[in-house]
Amino acid sequence: NKVSSFKIKLENGGFLEGLVRGFKNGISKEDYRHLTQCDTLEDLKLHLQGTGYGHFLANEPSPLTVSVIDEKLREKLVIEFEYIRNHAYKDLATFLDFIKYSYMIDNIILLITGTLHQRQLSELLPKCHPLGIFDQMETVTIASTTADLYNAILVDSPLAPFFKECISEEDLNEMNIEIIRNTLYKAYLEAFYDWCQQKGGATADVMCEILAFEADRRSIIITINSFGTELTKEDRAKLYPRRGKLYPDGLLELSKADEYEAVKRVSELYAEYKPLFDGTGNNPGDKTLEDKFFEHEVTLNVNSFMQQFQYGVFYSYVKLKEQECRNIIWIAECIAQRHRAKIDSYIPIM
Amino acid sequence: MFKMGSLFRSEEMCLAQLYLQSEAAFACVSELGELGLAQFRDLNPDVNAFQRKFVNEVRRCDDMERKLRFLEKEVKKDNLAIDDTGENPPAPLPREMIDMENKFDKLETEMKSVNSNQEALKKNFLELTELKHILRKTQQFFEQTHVPQQYDDETPLIASEFSRSFNRFGVHFFYYRFVAGVLMRDKISAFERVIWRACRGNVFLRYTEIEAELEDPHTGDKVNKYVFIVFFQGDQLKSRIKKICTGFRATLYPCPETPQERREIALGVMTRIEDLQTVLNQTADHRRMVLSQVALNIRVWLIKVRKIKAIYHTLNLFNVNAEKCLIAECWCPVVDIDRIQLALRRGTELSGSSVPSIMQQMQTKENPPTYNQTDKFTSGFQAIIDAFGVSNYREVNPAPFTIITFPFLFAVMFGDMGHGLLMFLFALYLVLKENRYMKHKPEDEIFKMMFDGRYLILLMGLFSIYTGFLYNECFSRSINIFGTSWNFLMEFRLTLDPNKPGVFRGYPYFYGIDPIWQSAENKITVQNSYKMKNAVLMGFAQMIFGLSLAFCNRRHFKDKLTLYCELLPQLLFLCALIGYLCMCILYKWSVWTVAQSNTAPSLLIGLIDMYMLTDPKSNNRVPLYTGQYQVQIFLVIVTVLCVPWMFLSKPYILYKRSNNTQDDICCFSLYDRLITQSMMEAGGLDSQSDDDVAILHHENNDANYGKQEPESFDMSEVIIYQAIHTIEFCLSCISHTASYLRLWALSLAHSELSEVLWSMVMHTGLATSGTSGAILSFFVFWFFSSLTVSILLVMEGLSAFLHAIRLHWVEFQSKFYKGEGYIFSPFSFTLIVEGKVE
Repeated sequence: NKVSSFKIKLENGGFLEGLVRGFKNGISKEDYRHLTQCDTLEDLKLHLQGTGYGHFLANEPSPLTVSVIDEKLREKLVIEFEYIRNHAYKDLATFLDFIKYSYMIDNIILLITGTLHQRQLSELLPKCHPLGIFDQMETVTIASTTADLYNAILVDSPLAPFFKECISEEDLNEMNIEIIRNTLYKAYLEAFYDWCQQKGGATADVMCEILAFEADRRSIIITINSFGTELTKEDRAKLYPRRGKLYPDGLLELSKADEYEAVKRVSELYAEYKPLFDGTGNNPGDKTLEDKFFEHEVTLNVNSFMQQFQYGVFYSYVKLKEQECRNIIWIAECIAQRHRAKIDSYIPIM
Repeated sequence: MFKMGSLFRSEEMCLAQLYLQSEAAFACVSELGELGLAQFRDLNPDVNAFQRKFVNEVRRCDDMERKLRFLEKEVKKDNLAIDDTGENPPAPLPREMIDMENKFDKLETEMKSVNSNQEALKKNFLELTELKHILRKTQQFFEQTHVPQQYDDETPLIASEFSRSFNRFGVHFFYYRFVAGVLMRDKISAFERVIWRACRGNVFLRYTEIEAELEDPHTGDKVNKYVFIVFFQGDQLKSRIKKICTGFRATLYPCPETPQERREIALGVMTRIEDLQTVLNQTADHRRMVLSQVALNIRVWLIKVRKIKAIYHTLNLFNVNAEKCLIAECWCPVVDIDRIQLALRRGTELSGSSVPSIMQQMQTKENPPTYNQTDKFTSGFQAIIDAFGVSNYREVNPAPFTIITFPFLFAVMFGDMGHGLLMFLFALYLVLKENRYMKHKPEDEIFKMMFDGRYLILLMGLFSIYTGFLYNECFSRSINIFGTSWNFLMEFRLTLDPNKPGVFRGYPYFYGIDPIWQSAENKITVQNSYKMKNAVLMGFAQMIFGLSLAFCNRRHFKDKLTLYCELLPQLLFLCALIGYLCMCILYKWSVWTVAQSNTAPSLLIGLIDMYMLTDPKSNNRVPLYTGQYQVQIFLVIVTVLCVPWMFLSKPYILYKRSNNTQDDICCFSLYDRLITQSMMEAGGLDSQSDDDVAILHHENNDANYGKQEPESFDMSEVIIYQAIHTIEFCLSCISHTASYLRLWALSLAHSELSEVLWSMVMHTGLATSGTSGAILSFFVFWFFSSLTVSILLVMEGLSAFLHAIRLHWVEFQSKFYKGEGYIFSPFSFTLIVEGKVE
């Protein structure tokens, strides 16, 4: 019986899981140390050749710029992801699409904000994440109200179901773009969470943990960022994704918070989040809360690789790769701007 | 190249230190690379890749390689053949590098400017073509809409809702404005929907496909596009539609409203397209000219650049302590030291340096790499051995014996003349065509594997023909060559019993198995017993041979302790246990006759009795020979004694020794230091400065003292190790012998399977008479032959192959082979140029 269930699991994405586990190995701790010692971007390139990234920069003429590295790193991730997506079917395909949706949301928001600021489309497009590109995306510029946006454009896109809550006849402005983003994200996270839960098994175990953290992180960040803005507390409470560990009591408390300390008090009631708030601050040497969150996310994602035959590895792979790319870019930026003091504050991936 | 006996043990290696003048280093390493006999050690393992001395040169090479790759890609894009003369240019000197860089740089910029020109032209061309299509297609749209105009609006046609609205559009056509453009095919449906929704249905969209494929000017891919035209009213809608069009990356073209204007523009476009076509052709010609130059040389350039890069990589491994010279350490075969020195001299001369490069052997306790010289014949066999594990330095290499034993054991399992012949012919084809395949490397991985093992397959086929001849089987049929030695009884079911008078003619079939057995009922019974015993005999022979190779190893490494305390009892144990069984088999075959077969003792029962220590007479069994009981008792005692001998003697002696030597260690190290010093002085390092000597001295000391530390003697570890080995050996004697029975099992399976195939398939075809029989046979033959190849040759062949591998790796090599060495990987241009090594 065990063998047969093993077989079923293998047929259902076992090959791809193996592939992902292979893709995962990029840069070791040792490599990071070497990277931070580089003097120029050329050195960085030379060293990256010896890591899992291989010759991805080999065809780039000197001099290198950080943006070229960024673009190539992203391209590599996208090629790998698309390969996996093209070979996936049934549930795994849905799962992978869920991963893509978050990038779609980011892209839409980016385009709308850009249009509001009178930017040209051609200027905005290169900034969009290639994983989040869909057919109708570039036409969002014609919409002036959210209803417009939904009725004309997004109704055919996969994001339509997440959009239900934010349809209104109000004109788009900066404030409600933020609200749209967060509402979309909320709907997305809840849908993703529910899907994983319904899928059950190890996938649910792993993914719910990660998504719950993601939801709580959003809630906390929304609260902190809302201080000093026009956002009312009731509106703010509507933006909290209701799938995290903070739900329901913590979110209720959060919605009442007026200052950073209050947020901290609420979060410290939860064992997982207490350490994240300890030792954060604005003093030199302290890590920012954001970095602490990233670190925790990395830990969760690394743990996801401890379990087999579940879809969490695909999600974690994307997130870890993204973090790794962010690290490389951080180091590259520090090198390029000759600002070495902070070069070590990348998020190590254990 | 191939010296006798060199395959028996790996080449003798030595660690040498090279002192290269910095101006001569490049040329020297280049010569060594051509020679491919030295494996350099990294002397700066702690230094990052980008902090090494020649990192800039490596980077420049990388850049040149990138440019060449770009040019190569362009050449391939134009489908030009890259000239391959097989020429192997030497690595150019460093000063030529700048010339090369300039040359490549010029070519790259030229190519890029040509490309950007061409792209601009192509873009222009594309736009014009799209406009042409738009004009043509919109003409159709307009004409279609004009057609209903001729009818009266009231005429009751089969007017559907759609066509009526269509008519309405047609009638009021001139009051509407329109936008026309071109869009990618895959976006059209999304486009249609968005435009419908965004404009709330107040527009009218028509589209149609452009039949001709268009070329994307940037990537050069062929793309399919659609022409569309949108009719609308009002400026607001217009800006909206235009935004949607940009959103979908549609290209919009101005399209005049009256047919006359459209016609005029179309004419203009046609002439411009023609002009552009000529210009495009000229650009393409120019590009082709540049590229054909590149195609002629690019292979040589690539080789040169790769060689330079490899040289600088190697130089990065060297120690650059002193200003004027580089110090390198390398492993090299002792026999080739002269050639290496010659290469060094040549390199020094080439570079025009006055100070010679110096090579000096070093003492080391480190394990040298294993280097087995192979040629195209032996490499396949060596590969089988290396796949299990690379032999320890100077250990007996099983490869030369495998050349015979492997195909033989394979053939024992695969014995069939017909199948062997097919296999032989296939391998012969590969061997005869090998020059062609060597030049154009086969892409297919499986084919490549078979090609690499072509000599192995050749021998396997040959041996299978021989064993097939012994088994007298050719596609499961027997051939009566020498005349059978049995008299036929006119029975349909034939059971051959030599005891019946008149059946056996008294003399055996001349060679191999009598063909009469093919039709005998008791064929399998007879052959089973025969093949099974044969398998045990062959197994014993190979295992004893393995032990004798272990003897060679012990002798070579002067390991008397293991020889007497391990090998000798092992040999006795094996002989007393399995050797005795083999003796019995042979004795019974030669002494006991057919007439006595009813009373002959069973060997199996005999063996069990032997270890139960029961006298065969006491159970009323016939003894195999007189005095059997006494001999057996003696053998059992020997066997039992061997176990503690194997287990205890070696640990005991080691323990004794460790007690004695602990006091002597100080003396040893002092002695060593003296030796090192005198070696230094005799080393002839006059030309070196003092600190070089100091470095050498220091390193040598390090090397010696690092290893000289007395290994702490741990009695429990030794005992456990010994216990495991003893138990393993004793058990393996039985299990390995049993394992050799696979020789019988597989040969039985093979012959049965081929017989089934014959009787079920071919026989039915041949048994049918008349014309239908002929036709049936024809078809059945193809079926039969394809099954023969796919099942009997490929599948059975693979299975026999795997079993033969197992017998070699486990049963044979476990007796003597350690396989814990590491392979010698010299710095060689041939490997680097072929892209096998970084």
